[in-house]
Amino acid sequence: MELNRRTFLLGAGAASLPLLLAGCGFAPPAADSTAATGTLTFTTWGTDAELAGFKAAIDRFQKANSGATVNLNAVPYGQMFTNIDAQLQAGNPPDVFRVPYYTFGSYAGRGQLLDLSTQLEQGFSDNFTPQAWAAVQNSGKPYGVPHHTDTSVILYNKDALTAAGITNIPTTLDTAWSWDEFEQVMKTLRGSLPAEKYPFAYNWQGNGVTRWLSWLFESNGRFLSEDLLTPAIDSPAGTAAVDFTKNFFTAGYVPQNNSVKSTTLAADTWYAQTSAMTSGGAFLIPDATSTLDFEWGATFSPRNERSAGDFGGNALVATAATTQPELATKFLAFMTEQEEMSQFCASASLLPTRADLIQSGIDFAVRPELSPIFVGQASSVQAQDSSQVASPNMSKIITVLQNQLEEAFVGGQSTADTLANMTSGIAAATAPA
Amino acid sequence: MSTASASATASIPGSVSAAAPSATARTVASSGRGGRRRRLWRANLAGYAFLTPNLVLLGLFVLFPLVSAVVISFEKTNGFGSGTFAGLDNYARLATDPVFWRSTFNTALFTALVTPLSMLLGLGAAVLLNSVLPARGLFRSILILPMAISGVATALIGVLVFDQNNGILDKLLRFAGLQTIPWQSGGAAAFTSVVLVTLWWRVGFNMLIYLAGLQSISPELYEAARLDGAGGWQRFRFLTVPLVGPSSFFLLIMNVIYSFQVFDIVFVLTGGGPQNATSVLVTYAYNNGFVTRDQGYAAAIGVVLLLITLVFTAVQWRASRTRDLVD
Repeated sequence: MELNRRTFLLGAGAASLPLLLAGCGFAPPAADSTAATGTLTFTTWGTDAELAGFKAAIDRFQKANSGATVNLNAVPYGQMFTNIDAQLQAGNPPDVFRVPYYTFGSYAGRGQLLDLSTQLEQGFSDNFTPQAWAAVQNSGKPYGVPHHTDTSVILYNKDALTAAGITNIPTTLDTAWSWDEFEQVMKTLRGSLPAEKYPFAYNWQGNGVTRWLSWLFESNGRFLSEDLLTPAIDSPAGTAAVDFTKNFFTAGYVPQNNSVKSTTLAADTWYAQTSAMTSGGAFLIPDATSTLDFEWGATFSPRNERSAGDFGGNALVATAATTQPELATKFLAFMTEQEEMSQFCASASLLPTRADLIQSGIDFAVRPELSPIFVGQASSVQAQDSSQVASPNMSKIITVLQNQLEEAFVGGQSTADTLANMTSGIAAATAPA
Repeated sequence: MSTASASATASIPGSVSAAAPSATARTVASSGRGGRRRRLWRANLAGYAFLTPNLVLLGLFVLFPLVSAVVISFEKTNGFGSGTFAGLDNYARLATDPVFWRSTFNTALFTALVTPLSMLLGLGAAVLLNSVLPARGLFRSILILPMAISGVATALIGVLVFDQNNGILDKLLRFAGLQTIPWQSGGAAAFTSVVLVTLWWRVGFNMLIYLAGLQSISPELYEAARLDGAGGWQRFRFLTVPLVGPSSFFLLIMNVIYSFQVFDIVFVLTGGGPQNATSVLVTYAYNNGFVTRDQGYAAAIGVVLLLITLVFTAVQWRASRTRDLVD
């Protein structure tokens, strides 16, 4: 065939179309799970340590299961769920993906995940703590495995607390500061710090607004009733939680830009030594250890009626559209075996969800002496707390919490109005379609 | 009548021959018309062949999503699977949604501030840098540099500048003993920070377009005006401003469309806060579409945005007297 300008342009156009489509995320995944038997695609985001942990675990899974291949697709967190949603909508999702517990319900409740109740071995759930197993349930059935958790504790600048005369730092969960004691600590720090420095910063920015619920749980409160549909936040516990946290702003205990919609994260405020304490998860340990040039320690979050914590971390789930449910289930079960979870959590500074690992403890690769504080705090999470966060309507409830807490913290909205608006917002979010 | 004259007569479209053409003349004329039609058809085909890749991409990535968005805006969705037809429910909801109205107001205010300011500053900079200013090449590069940076990176630099605890600006104010500004927790200050970062990003583009417009103006016009006794301001007002009219029209449309579609700077710099003080239509649509997965409602916001932009562009197109003044 003669190659003239038209045929060249036509050919070049045809050749560039797949590239254009791939660039826009419309092309199918590189590994076609339907074509190769025994091949899974696994999409996740992760820190360097987490991705290294996943790669090592996949190698071991492939060695233990001859003929099985897992293709790891690591993506930035910012693109993770817009991509997953688009792939689910387009009908070509990965076989397995990683999902935070607060987002899990959005997928499980809308028929996007593989029901594992008939796939997993009898007694599989006994491996996990009740709160971890509750976090992967939807309508009484498991739709994922709890891969790891994380929870927030108080990270503090030792010099700042010492300078304020605060030396009696709690070392056990039972002796954690009460709310009154914690407020006294913040008041003391407020008195000793210059005006542009603050006692505390809380990590409730963005989707971290679910961490505000820890204050509610510490007061023995709920935001959803046991049916996981009816709002239950307008209660004495809700009033206590809103009042206590609103006071952080009015008393100058936290910077004004520490609100829930701020783009400045609490950890960055603490890193910059603008605050003496912050609430933060174990995942911060490697970064803080390598970058901070001040001495810092960790202690338990304050308690009110009881201790509590946010059930952070991520589940691993298989999609309902997977063509290899058995292999996917096998992979999920493998990733939560004792040795695998122990190695992953230790190297990435995360907390296990297996009851036996909670019992025996775990040593982080970095700052291992802090492990008992995080593991101890995680033990204060109750199944009744984590099951509420697994609600299929959590993404809408998160928006309600963000809007109303922002109004309370920055706009000075009264506690009564805040709770009333939260109640109507949650009711609308959980109303049947 | 010769065949040549018959052919010539037939070649004039719409002309009527005074005498009836002979059979030979009709045959030749018909053959001539057929040849020209074929040539015209080939030329048209070549034109469409060149247009086809663009039309395909435009259809695939603009028209198809556009029509789909309009369809989805009439549906109730939950993020996955097909939606259910909901008529005008999403639009009715918009009418009673205070955050939508706040976002619409913010978008309009942002457009009203950013469009004239970026054009004025761009024109001022272009006039200065079109003169014999020393090191004008350096200044041009400095102004154009932000264009080479993505909106997200620009906004991240903005975060470093406008962080109210550790940002450069408030540290300078504190150092000078002045009152600091709550760039992140004060609604008006946060909105101002978004406008300032946008201007830093957009002025270079406006300057570049105006600079190209200025350089196409003949220097003799200015010389003649000077001989007629026109001062500097008069030359600017009565020569420069009208003669860069096509550039102004282009920039007005581009700036308005950009301003209505602003997303990255707001999303990264303020996240729409505090208390929705910087929420704009696209960030609000994004939150509904990708955070709460209410895509039907998000699509309705997008359709409203499209209509506003179309109406504005149409009005400008009809109202502008200088849009066609291109050589």
